[in-house]
Amino acid sequence: MTEVSLRALKKYYGKTAALKGISLDVNHGEFISLLGPSGCGKSTTLKCIAGFEEITQGGIFFDNQDISHKLPENRDIGMVFQSYALFPHMTVAQNLAFGLEMRRVSKSEIKERVMRAMDMVQLTPYADRYPKALSGGQQQRVALARALVIEPAILLLDEPLANLDAKLRDEMRGFIRDLQKRVGITTIYVTHDQDEAMTMSDRVVVMFDGEIAQAAAPEDVYNAPASERIARFVGNANILDLAISARPEGGGIETRLPGGTTLHVTASADWAGERLRIMARPEQIMLTAPEHGQLGGRIAKRYFSGGHVEYSIDTDCDEIAVVGPTTQNLKEGDTVGLCFDPARLWPMPDDRDGAAP
Amino acid sequence: MNFASLCLNTFRIMVYVFLLAPIAVVVLASLNAGNFLTFPPQGLSLRWFWTFLDNDIFINAILYSALLAASATSVSLVLGTMAALYYVRHAGRDAEWVRIGVLLPLILPEILTAIALLFFFYEIGVGTEHKIALFTGHVLMTLPFIFLNVNTSLQGRDGSVELAARTLGASRYTAFRRITLPLIAPGVSTGAVFAFIISFDTFGISFILKGTGSAPLPIQLFDYLRFNFTPEAAAVSTVSILLTLFLVVVSDLLFGRRI
Repeated sequence: MTEVSLRALKKYYGKTAALKGISLDVNHGEFISLLGPSGCGKSTTLKCIAGFEEITQGGIFFDNQDISHKLPENRDIGMVFQSYALFPHMTVAQNLAFGLEMRRVSKSEIKERVMRAMDMVQLTPYADRYPKALSGGQQQRVALARALVIEPAILLLDEPLANLDAKLRDEMRGFIRDLQKRVGITTIYVTHDQDEAMTMSDRVVVMFDGEIAQAAAPEDVYNAPASERIARFVGNANILDLAISARPEGGGIETRLPGGTTLHVTASADWAGERLRIMARPEQIMLTAPEHGQLGGRIAKRYFSGGHVEYSIDTDCDEIAVVGPTTQNLKEGDTVGLCFDPARLWPMPDDRDGAAP
Repeated sequence: MNFASLCLNTFRIMVYVFLLAPIAVVVLASLNAGNFLTFPPQGLSLRWFWTFLDNDIFINAILYSALLAASATSVSLVLGTMAALYYVRHAGRDAEWVRIGVLLPLILPEILTAIALLFFFYEIGVGTEHKIALFTGHVLMTLPFIFLNVNTSLQGRDGSVELAARTLGASRYTAFRRITLPLIAPGVSTGAVFAFIISFDTFGISFILKGTGSAPLPIQLFDYLRFNFTPEAAAVSTVSILLTLFLVVVSDLLFGRRI
């Protein structure tokens, strides 16, 4: 069942296009992240869905009903803002009750639902505090509870974790995701943080320049990005530019690495052209003894970061980033062999400036 | 205590003396038992306050000024708050022009505004008889004070609280009444007190635009002092100082910044 449907959504500010035709279907109960650099249109999309911005063209549908021109107060949405936007002159309980008062819910029911919502976000002891007396994480939870207590059809979150410190951010990620699953509410989440988008979402929508670049499950966006730009935006990516040496009968493509080793790429057999740009994620490359590797190299830099070690390796094929386990005893200057996992290599069209499409 | 802080303290005391001495002189002069406006007073007495209370001209002038100040303040309260909301939330790149426009009566010499209004109201055939000119002048003079104070309480306030209220089901108006207004109340009330006092006190505008008939207090005092030189004038001034003080204290107790 489709809950939210954006159809060829366009938004112009004067002559500047902020959204150049966004089409997206969000299913009931789905957690969607709009991910992209600042200025990509993700926040504008959210504002259009919330009704804060008048759309220029296209339509927004909730449950197949056109709500494109409805006022925000008539859209049945709950929203959490980056700044939380708590009402500073009201207590936590009053903040939570506001939306229910607007819906003319009876006093006794308001009391009961506010109690339940506070319990849900573990804030019951803070009912009579004012927002400024709460920590950032607590304010965040009040904002969530305030958006959810009205039981809206859709939950919108606008970079809600951007103002929290790193440790709290990780905690809140899990908290929001668990809560969303428990309530089962359709959720659209805007963020520029790819880790956040990956860990929380059912589907990640990558946006560049007012357009959707790719909408897919986090694994697919990461392992099979639709373009080099996505590959580089979502996580670290090594891009190998290689010549195609053969197209064997059984499928796949063979390329030759500098040094002579043949690399067999299994995915996307019918690739036209003579050269191939292949993405290899740093943690999908193994370091071995020089004689066992498909490609030789020398460790230029080594950074220990607790759980793993990051290497930068000079090879005949550019500088390649590799993430390895801390158990390997390698130093800067060591010569090593690089081993690629053919199944995880991902060929992509060349979308650099000036390159042929 | 070192030399620097000694200097600073002396300076501070001098500033207060400079600001408060005239007020003290007026209050003391109003308690004068003698027949002329002199300082130091020749004996203490409340007789000039009784004279003042018996004098219909001054009582009427105070009532007239209070009415004028109250009505001018209520009109500029609405206009100034609207202007401040527009300036902070919606004006975008025109914001600077909006600000200059509203603050112009404060920037220009009062006498210029007064003469411009005088010309304008005669030019459109209304003149000064209907008090509309005087009233407009007072609104103009008080507008910047509302605007500036409401501005201050809006700046640094996150506009998304209003949007949050909208998503929770509040209409534009309800969001303003339940969320925005309580948040800017301190600025609105301070602005109102300022506006009232400015209107109560302003001379140039009133002098030029008053027309015939009843006149605001400063004009009445001026007229009185041209021919009389009794402590009654000081008594009137003392009463208006007390009135002002009362307003400031009440407003601070009611709306002093709590949030």
